[in-house]
Amino acid sequence: MSDLTSLTALEQAKLIREKQISAVELLDQTLEQVKRVDGRPGSLDFDHETEEDKHKVHAFIILTEEHAREKARSVDERIAKGKSVGALAGVPYSVKDVYCTKGIQTTAASKILSGWKPPYDSTVIEKMDQADAVMFGKVNLDEFTFGGSNETTAFKPTVRNPWNTDRVPGGSSGGSAAAVAANEGAISLGTDTGGSIREPAAFTGVVGLKPTYGRVSRYGVIPFASSMDSLGPLTRSVSDAALVLREIAGFDPRDSVTGKVSVDNYLEELKKGVKGMRIGISQDYMQITYMDDNGEYASAPIDPVLLAKMEKAISIYKELGAEIIEDIPMPNTKYSVPSYFVITRIEAYSNLQRYDGLKYGHSTSRPVTDMYDLYYKSRGEGFGYQTKLRLLTGLFASQEKFYEKYYGRAMRARGMLRNDFDNAFNPQGKYRLDVLLTPSTPSAAFPFGGATAKDSLKMQFADQFTSPMNFAGTPGVSFPCGLDNEGMPLGLQAAGYDYCESKILRAAYAFEQATIDEDWRKVKPMVLK
Amino acid sequence: MAEYEVTIGLETHIQLNTITKAFCSCKADSWGDAPNTNICPVCSGLPGALPAANKAMVEKALILCLAMNADINMTSFFDRKNYLYADLPAGYQITQNDKPIGIGGYLDFQMDDGRPVRVRIDNLHMEEDAGKTRNEGDIRLIDMNRCGVPLVEMVTQPDMHSADEAATYLIKLRQLLRWLGISEANMEKAHLRCDANVSIRPKGQVKLGKKCEIKNINSIEAVRTAINYEIQRQIKEVEAGNEIEQWTIEWDNDALELRKMRSKETAADYRYFREPNLMPVVISEEFLQSVKEGMPELPLARQKRFETELGLPAYDASILTADRETSEFFEEAAKVYGEDNKRVSNWMMNEVLRIVNEKGIGVAELKITPSNLADIIRLVDKKTINTTTGKTLVDKVNDSGKDPAALVKELGLGLVSDDSIIREVCEKIVANSPKEKALYLGGKETLIGWFVGQVMREMRGKADPELAKTILESVLKAGEGN
Ligand SMILES: [Zn+2]
Repeated sequence: MSDLTSLTALEQAKLIREKQISAVELLDQTLEQVKRVDGRPGSLDFDHETEEDKHKVHAFIILTEEHAREKARSVDERIAKGKSVGALAGVPYSVKDVYCTKGIQTTAASKILSGWKPPYDSTVIEKMDQADAVMFGKVNLDEFTFGGSNETTAFKPTVRNPWNTDRVPGGSSGGSAAAVAANEGAISLGTDTGGSIREPAAFTGVVGLKPTYGRVSRYGVIPFASSMDSLGPLTRSVSDAALVLREIAGFDPRDSVTGKVSVDNYLEELKKGVKGMRIGISQDYMQITYMDDNGEYASAPIDPVLLAKMEKAISIYKELGAEIIEDIPMPNTKYSVPSYFVITRIEAYSNLQRYDGLKYGHSTSRPVTDMYDLYYKSRGEGFGYQTKLRLLTGLFASQEKFYEKYYGRAMRARGMLRNDFDNAFNPQGKYRLDVLLTPSTPSAAFPFGGATAKDSLKMQFADQFTSPMNFAGTPGVSFPCGLDNEGMPLGLQAAGYDYCESKILRAAYAFEQATIDEDWRKVKPMVLK
Repeated sequence: MAEYEVTIGLETHIQLNTITKAFCSCKADSWGDAPNTNICPVCSGLPGALPAANKAMVEKALILCLAMNADINMTSFFDRKNYLYADLPAGYQITQNDKPIGIGGYLDFQMDDGRPVRVRIDNLHMEEDAGKTRNEGDIRLIDMNRCGVPLVEMVTQPDMHSADEAATYLIKLRQLLRWLGISEANMEKAHLRCDANVSIRPKGQVKLGKKCEIKNINSIEAVRTAINYEIQRQIKEVEAGNEIEQWTIEWDNDALELRKMRSKETAADYRYFREPNLMPVVISEEFLQSVKEGMPELPLARQKRFETELGLPAYDASILTADRETSEFFEEAAKVYGEDNKRVSNWMMNEVLRIVNEKGIGVAELKITPSNLADIIRLVDKKTINTTTGKTLVDKVNDSGKDPAALVKELGLGLVSDDSIIREVCEKIVANSPKEKALYLGGKETLIGWFVGQVMREMRGKADPELAKTILESVLKAGEGN
């Protein structure tokens, strides 16, 4: 059989169900592909980057080949016997290494968790198993998801962008995005707290869906900021994202924030198109707003190529019969990044208290004087630089005496930001939007080290267009819209209202289908050439 | 020596008797389980695990709030209290900080001498318990079985002024908790834990003295002793011209001594913030109403009613309302009996509670029912049996669970009131006692008692003594004419 790894999950599943290929065969090809493009996996025993490393993807931390082969065989057997199988039967997928997997190491890309094998599966892993998908590996990320470039992982070499291995893949679901872009599985599951699915998806030219907070159970996924963490798929097609969401969404008694809202057949919904849809554009999402050295709000333009892509998308939607509503006011967008900073750090600080070197993961081998000395040394050795920075800022900002100054204000800003969304989407309101169309990021993927370089606004504020949805708890999907002048992928985001994933997926799908034959879609990532 | 006023506030931790823990499905009670065997990813704080609030915990906490006359927050929140300790596996405790389920309230009770006391409550909040730490030499052992067990923490105002008041408050609280059926309230098993804040000030001084907190007091007696020790210690310090320092003190119940744990320089910063993994606790009007409707009459109210409506003396009313089952048993028996409540109270206190004490069981475990007791009293009233037989019948009914009347028949305990049988025995006794007969007829009428005794002995106590007396008199006098 020809190359199966470039197919979508939907196509792969169909071939397997029709017995044209076997699940084992597909798994073998997928593992072959990993061998071809991925290079050595991320590891704590890393010395230095070799010349060869610089041309590989390094999406994976661990391959779970045995586990995968067992699952693939059981799918094949059941199909052979004519028994019923799940919607994703035999489709290999990878998962960001913050999803707890029973008996399989789960690292959060941190040394502090080295060697830990969870005694339980996360709800989504269970659901994927019920859908008969085949988990074949766990992918790299920024340590504890703290980052937007994958550079903070403790497992090196770090992930490289398959389109240009000198560029970052984005983050924190950088491994997921890179794996899917490099045909190492058609599906990867990521997490998104401020844009961690959508930003790397945009950077690697794939589809990344962040569902409504509460749409997908977070049970068993190592948290970053619990009030914002969302889980979703990264795929190469909008249909695949819809299919995966259908399989993993729903109420879970183990996650109290999941809603008892019925799960749509998102795949079927796609066909409804965008005719009559109200699609909004907001100037607040067409520029970067930041605080200058004097503490004043200033703004900077986004990549002009992106503006052109927006224009093109608008004209496509108009042609398809959607109504475009311009100048949607989202005035509180500018508070997103600073309040995000405060709230996520305070929650993260608390969430990471449990890593003490006592119960699991890394424990210092140096002599200790008492329990607290054990904590200090183990945490000092186990956490990376970025994690320590976040813990320190979280520790600082969470002090009771600063409650009002930081947490209280940030929470109020969060409420204001949520109001922006209510105003825009309220079905009885002035704008009554179905979808808000925005760029996913202010620019394409930047070079390694870019986020810390001088004049790095676009990189520092890479999540300005995505973190508001985490604050509001609303869904957003990033989908490829073309390439920039250097041939790097760009993404647009369709954002929606609570539990309205169907609508944003319809918008993304309509664009995808309208541009399916365009030349830029034929350009393949560097590592696939 | 100057006179001092003592001020005491209590912080109590009440373990709710839910089936499962506060936020996971592990069983709540680990009594007797091997360490770390009753745990799961949630309560042992594993990465990725999430809490889900137990509705039974909320319901029981709500019942307590209502019983304590607290204001209910119809929307309350769970917060994280962040601190690092080995017995707190997540690094934070889920508790309620600024919007707890209950605010204010009070508990009214009477001291033994009838003096009324009101202790006001600051707030009631739900939280999860931490694990247990045990030190063995250099080794610190952690048992996480207790992690996640649901508690209500209830903090009083500094409204108590003696160790006796503090101890009585705890006794009444324990009574109330069991009465409501929301906690086993066994202090030895730490279902009910108590920390006491104690301060003294010279009489007349407005400003409160510096308080010391006594931790780890795990019985009513220990509360009394530890607080009294601490009062004496503080008086001694002040008399010696020393300042009281704000200490945290541990009570060692074996050595009967107070041990300083630490000086409280600064309050710890727990960095409270809303627990993002749990939704607000929203109590609907309907739910509140249904809980209110299910509320039993509370101990003090029932005690008062027993006095005013049932006409019991204060002492009886207090004994009979010591626990809910006793009060319900009594009231049911009194209702079935239908007259003279005091008579039922006497039988209840003298006989039923005697069995309870002898056997060391609760009223609920008795086989005798309230209507059995009423039947027995009636049998005595009707002279079917005498009082002594009635008392033993209470035991016999409780041992066998059989109906009192049936038992009287089966064991032949009934008084003989058949004229002819008693007459026969009387005639025999009189015939065999010519000397006593002569004396009686000669005017020594008190001898009638001796004759009755002889008849009762002959009939093994089953004769109706009044009837025997009448018959004897007629038999003795009948011979007079001969
Ligand atoms: Zn548990």
